[in-house]
Amino acid sequence: MPELRIEATVNGRKVARAAKPHLRLLDFLRDDLGYTGAKEGCGAGECGTCSVFVDGVLLKSCLVPVAKAQGTTIETVEGLGHAGGLTVLQQAFHKAGASQCGYCIPGMVMAATAALRANPLASREEIKERLGGNICRCTGYQKIFDAVELARDVRNGRRPASALAEEDPVDGAFIGASVRRLDAPSKVSGALKYAGDMVMPHMLHLAVLRSPHAHARIVSIDTSEAEAVSGVEGVITAVDVPGIDGFGVFVHDQPIMARGKVRYVGEQVAAVASEDPLVARRALARIKVVYETLPAVFDAHEAMRPGAPVLHDYAPDNIVKHIPIRVGDVEKGFAESDLIVEEIYSTQQVEHAYLEPEAGLAYVDHDGVVTIVSPSQNITHHRHMLSRIIAQPISKVRFIMSPVGGGFGGKEDMVYQGMLALMAMKTRRPVRLVFTREESIITTAKRHPSHTTYKMGLMRDGRIRAAAIKLVSDGGAYGMSTEGVMRKAAILAAGPYSIPNVKIDTYGVYTNNTPSGAFRSFGALQSQFATETHLDICAEKLGLDPFAIRRINAMRDGAVTHTKQTLKSVSMLRALDATEQVSRWETGAPTSRGDVRRDLAGEGTRPPCTLGTRFANSAGKDSESEVA
Amino acid sequence: MARKRGRGVAACWYGIARTATVDRAGAWAEIDDGGTAKIVTGVTEIGEGILTVLAQIAAHEIGVRPQDVTIGDNDTARSPEAAHAGATRQTYMIGNAVALASRQARAALVEVLARYWNVDSRTIKTAAGEVWAEGTNHKMPMSEAVHIAKSRGVVPVGSASFGTDTTGLDPVDGSGRPWQAYVFGCQVAEVEVDTLTGEVQVLGIWAVHDVGRAVNPRGVEGQIEGGIVQALGQGLMEDYRTVNGHAATPNLAKYILPTSLDVPHVTSVILEDPDPIGPLGVKGIGEPAMIPTIPAIMNAIYDAIGVRMTSLPATPEKVLEAMGRRARAARQPVAAE
Repeated sequence: MPELRIEATVNGRKVARAAKPHLRLLDFLRDDLGYTGAKEGCGAGECGTCSVFVDGVLLKSCLVPVAKAQGTTIETVEGLGHAGGLTVLQQAFHKAGASQCGYCIPGMVMAATAALRANPLASREEIKERLGGNICRCTGYQKIFDAVELARDVRNGRRPASALAEEDPVDGAFIGASVRRLDAPSKVSGALKYAGDMVMPHMLHLAVLRSPHAHARIVSIDTSEAEAVSGVEGVITAVDVPGIDGFGVFVHDQPIMARGKVRYVGEQVAAVASEDPLVARRALARIKVVYETLPAVFDAHEAMRPGAPVLHDYAPDNIVKHIPIRVGDVEKGFAESDLIVEEIYSTQQVEHAYLEPEAGLAYVDHDGVVTIVSPSQNITHHRHMLSRIIAQPISKVRFIMSPVGGGFGGKEDMVYQGMLALMAMKTRRPVRLVFTREESIITTAKRHPSHTTYKMGLMRDGRIRAAAIKLVSDGGAYGMSTEGVMRKAAILAAGPYSIPNVKIDTYGVYTNNTPSGAFRSFGALQSQFATETHLDICAEKLGLDPFAIRRINAMRDGAVTHTKQTLKSVSMLRALDATEQVSRWETGAPTSRGDVRRDLAGEGTRPPCTLGTRFANSAGKDSESEVA
Repeated sequence: MARKRGRGVAACWYGIARTATVDRAGAWAEIDDGGTAKIVTGVTEIGEGILTVLAQIAAHEIGVRPQDVTIGDNDTARSPEAAHAGATRQTYMIGNAVALASRQARAALVEVLARYWNVDSRTIKTAAGEVWAEGTNHKMPMSEAVHIAKSRGVVPVGSASFGTDTTGLDPVDGSGRPWQAYVFGCQVAEVEVDTLTGEVQVLGIWAVHDVGRAVNPRGVEGQIEGGIVQALGQGLMEDYRTVNGHAATPNLAKYILPTSLDVPHVTSVILEDPDPIGPLGVKGIGEPAMIPTIPAIMNAIYDAIGVRMTSLPATPEKVLEAMGRRARAARQPVAAE
């Protein structure tokens, strides 16, 4: 297809460019014009990070074909503040602490700008509705709503402009002061460059061939046809690894690319580099991989049974890690108890869904140093692992952290940096890789799912005598952080309670599912979900208020933990007291008394969401009529 | 009434920094020209605001302003190791390392000034870009103090490492000292359940968390609010599913995340029980913030409609199914009692 001629006004400047017809407006803005403030979060119009104004209308630029830009006036986040300044709204984002990782923020600023343009007096609830098409994974949105309300009020004169300024603490006591984030201006203005925004001269783009099978032996890989494609500058597979192949946070069981067999759907098998990302992607289809499928296992309990398919030779029982904790004698404790409560709890795999998909840029510098720029959460460990994998001394391996567009544990694994390094070494050119949202979801680690069998014995007065907790977790195809997650899940499983008899076992198990790895709260979320729900059940059976049962058992100063560590200062009772007070908790046993409680719907709650009723009302309908 | 409300409570505890292994972090500090400060450390800003926290700590310890502190990018070939961004460790490990390095740099500067002014170094104070000797008329901007130090052959630098006194776990009974700092917290959730659709809305969360010492209270709130909403996602909607190993939720159309319309109002209370070991008293907040949220919501659902949600997520379908089971059980004659 012939190239299009696009003439448009972008951020107040006339632009006349040739553009490939398959491009989206997002590509045109980012790659051809260098406006990288608009981010690609999902490529499907779901997340809003690519939001821009086209002729004053807020649009998701990943859904707009570039041809539609012809003759339009476009504003990106870079064009909102004039001459590098920040708009009132951007200043309000800065002041309110509305940006964290910052990746969603340019899109969020665009949507919020649209909200206040549409209604300069928009209420908090209307602001929420107008931001409903933009996802933020870090902030919980509250400070974003605060920021939009602050901007609204400053612009309407209800609050002074000084409300946007820094408030200096007295006497230089900066610890304890809510200093405005130093990196916020770069985030609210779109100036900050994440790895996927970075370019280098002579740069190649990497595309990855992935396994279609959950478990299969690789009989052969033939890359010759792909290598012969015009524009392909390099193809890599496991044979290109010069050193000892294997990475992982605890056990180095994962090869840079599949070696001998694949263990999950989406596992990387080969990679292609080209100056044109389309050429690289198309060349993947020319790589011929012959697989011999193997029996697979998709359930952690089945994987632990004798005779189950084995994923890794070093672990014939498929167990990544078992962590035991023993205090006293639980059987004796149960025998002494007045009440025994048993229950089973389960939690699911969860995606980190940071708005910034994985991205990185690698090059071999003038001194022969293999350099990787990426939003990794652990570059020091990655450096150690990569040095062994590429058989280079530590001083010849350099990792540089790029701004991280959300991590939550999901960027601790060195899942793509090795491929970038190998391709940079092979081609001696800079190489960039940017995951699609689908690649990010399908191939990277998830939160460990869990299956917990819980048995607790208590005395009539609420004292816990014994707790037996067994948690089994599907770690998926590779070890990643499973060992650590099982350890933390175990240590914290029985909660901040003094219990004389405790038996805890956590098991992380290999299966052919998407790997599980590090995720904020790292096993403790799963095991304490069980404990804290269980305590509510016990409190009901004993007729105790849920704060009371926790107070009776809470660790206090000098308490000994379930790993037999003596704690000096324990703030648990203070936390319980403060929560009971601030929530205006009405005392009583948890007996489904929602209907008769008198502490509901007060300060600290939002109104229930009644999406659309406001618009229906403003369309002239009877405001009294309920929308069913 | 189709919509029913309820409240639930849950608590949590958490260990700060790496688990059952020795953790460590290094940092370099320099009081630089113009009365600014330069901090170099292998820190990873993943959105929590650690760069601002470290700038506040350095500013506080050296006596400049946070905006006058430059923090070098994390680069394994240019900065001292500070290990990873995770385990709720950066404020604790790197914050304490930066404080110690900053104190050393400040001490080097103060020593020069004590000689220059002929005063006891203990009388010299620094704050917000100024240096003075108490009980005298000696006072100057930090920029001049740096110039004086350099003209006397002294570059005011410091370096420090902060490490933990921790052990692994016994492989048989798990005994050990996995962390040297612990935090505790508690949350109450208020929900509204639509008994016709099974949909749960979380309208309010009251969250109380011990953070040791809050360096930036607004940043702590941001961590609590963000953690709560991530937990709400796992509690009510997020569900990564595979069928024979193939992802059934491979994009954001199928994998549902909390939006601005799903989130509760969050009331945060910051509790400060200072860490007695580190020089700053700080601990952390990133991970513990999300632990009590899910059980608090599930307990609130029970309070509202009398069904126990023990399998996550509590989607509308699962809530309706549980309500159906409860209704059927209520119609059956009770045989066992």
